[in-house]
Amino acid sequence: MTSVLIVDDHSIFRSGLRAELDPSLEVIGEAATVDEAVSLIASLRPNVVLLDVHLPGGAGGGGAEVLHRSSALLDVVRFLALSVSDSAEDVVGVIRAGARGYITKGSSGAEVSSAVAAVASGDAVFSPRLAGFVLDAFGAVAGERAERSDELDRLSAREQEVMRLIARGFSYKEVATELFISIKTVETHVSAVLRKLQLSSRHELTVWAQQRKLL
Amino acid sequence: MTTASVRLPLARPRRAVLGGVASGLAVHLRWPVRVVRIAFACLVFAGGAGILLYLWFWAFIPLERDVDAAAPVSRRLPVAAVSLALAAVFTLAELGAIVARSDAAVNFTLLAVIVFGGGTVAWSLAMDAADPARSARYGTLTRSASTFILLLAGIAALISRPNAFNAVLGMLSIVVAVGVLAAPRLVTLWTDLMAERSARVREEQRAEIAAHLHDSVLQTLALIQTRAGASSEVARIARAQERELRDWLFADDVPASADLATELREIAAAIELDYAVHLDVVTAGAAVPVSPTALVGAAREAMLNAARHAGGEVSVYVESTSGTIDVFVRDRGPGVDLATLPDDRLGIRESIIGRMTRAGGTATVGPAAGGSASGGPGGSGAGTEVHLHLETTHAGERI
Repeated sequence: MTSVLIVDDHSIFRSGLRAELDPSLEVIGEAATVDEAVSLIASLRPNVVLLDVHLPGGAGGGGAEVLHRSSALLDVVRFLALSVSDSAEDVVGVIRAGARGYITKGSSGAEVSSAVAAVASGDAVFSPRLAGFVLDAFGAVAGERAERSDELDRLSAREQEVMRLIARGFSYKEVATELFISIKTVETHVSAVLRKLQLSSRHELTVWAQQRKLL
Repeated sequence: MTTASVRLPLARPRRAVLGGVASGLAVHLRWPVRVVRIAFACLVFAGGAGILLYLWFWAFIPLERDVDAAAPVSRRLPVAAVSLALAAVFTLAELGAIVARSDAAVNFTLLAVIVFGGGTVAWSLAMDAADPARSARYGTLTRSASTFILLLAGIAALISRPNAFNAVLGMLSIVVAVGVLAAPRLVTLWTDLMAERSARVREEQRAEIAAHLHDSVLQTLALIQTRAGASSEVARIARAQERELRDWLFADDVPASADLATELREIAAAIELDYAVHLDVVTAGAAVPVSPTALVGAAREAMLNAARHAGGEVSVYVESTSGTIDVFVRDRGPGVDLATLPDDRLGIRESIIGRMTRAGGTATVGPAAGGSASGGPGGSGAGTEVHLHLETTHAGERI
């Protein structure tokens, strides 16, 4: 059973989400502010935290602040960012602070549930828009390609292919069929991209982070 | 209907000779402008009543409002130049009066020089600065000329054997002249300060409203969409509202120029209004400032097809490099088989493939890769994917 903590400042949204989540997910708590979220995460240790990007309280840092203050628990607790805005720029800050993926609040209950399951099992969740942003930010469209696998600032050829297909609206399963690889391999590629997104010091990424005062 | 009810409102036009009082009155009273002007001129001889009346009207009749409120007021009569000329004439008269040793005449002419010289500067700063018909050079010229005249008149009055009143006026004249030099700088500083302050207040208000709406209304709209299901009527309306609100809230962040991505997003928004569909437009790569019409047309047709025959979630992905543009439109509908399509289905064959071919590009329509190949009704629902490809350098001359 996957335990879930919902962090969102709107009680209507929290209860709506709670009602829609798959029965295999157990909601063990709700938080409405940064401080509340940090203390609940520390005491409850949920498997997955559904984290709103825009959150009141604390020092005004929103979802990213929750991640920073809970960074010691990042190995145990996984974060899935929820945003009402579907602009990837809004979310890159949260991803870089440690979230394993993001979905928009317009997603259906089933979508949220499967995303939570993916994040709980250690995978990353990429929306088409985030994939498009990643392709852009890593210069993949301009033809930049990583030569070595340990390179953080560029994507490998395979990672680019996977990102492109996700941007075109493919599910992981469809990406796997299209590229004749296993779903596990697709997930490995996506996780690698997520790692690069979090650790890379590419100019395009640091600019976003700086604008959101996340560095 | 009485004549009074069709009378135009009393207002001063923005393009006027002096204050727009006469033409405003003429329009309102439906008299010829000339008659109004003659009436004012006659009243001037009734103890200056015409001038007072003119100023009174000028102060109380509002500027006409139906035109763009920010439009500047333009005056044909070069008031500053006329006033400057009068100041010059009175300076000469003053010099004459000094030579003739007539104290009363010196007093009167010096006073007139101060009034007209100061008036020139005041008019130049208050009125001409905002008037597009007056150049900055004209303003500088009239102001420096009036400074010179004021100094000349003042010094002349002081060095000629002055009486007390002359000396005061002469000093006043010099003080005004010095003030003129500093005035433009002070006026600019003041207007900049006021403009900056009001802009900041507006920006703060807007940010506050935006933050509030973002936290409340946008969240509610998102929730409505989730609860109602992506393709229901309610969700569609909520989504359209959300988009409108978002456009309004973040209007400043969006580049005003219409590039390909913006254009496709607008098309998607329009289609979402008419069909139960959710089009997600994702872009990557360089912005395309000039959208090739054929590509946009074909993309619109592909999106429309997806909305009509598939509905639900449709992904649109645009990737542009310096030389090529690729557009993918992917739906999850029952799928389409080109070979079995009747000939009269112009949508795909003509509007998508034909259009792209004529523009020098290619269009591929097929079952969405990755799903099962059997795209028939009741199949796996892998859907259709339309891929448009255009070499921009090659197609340039045909756009």
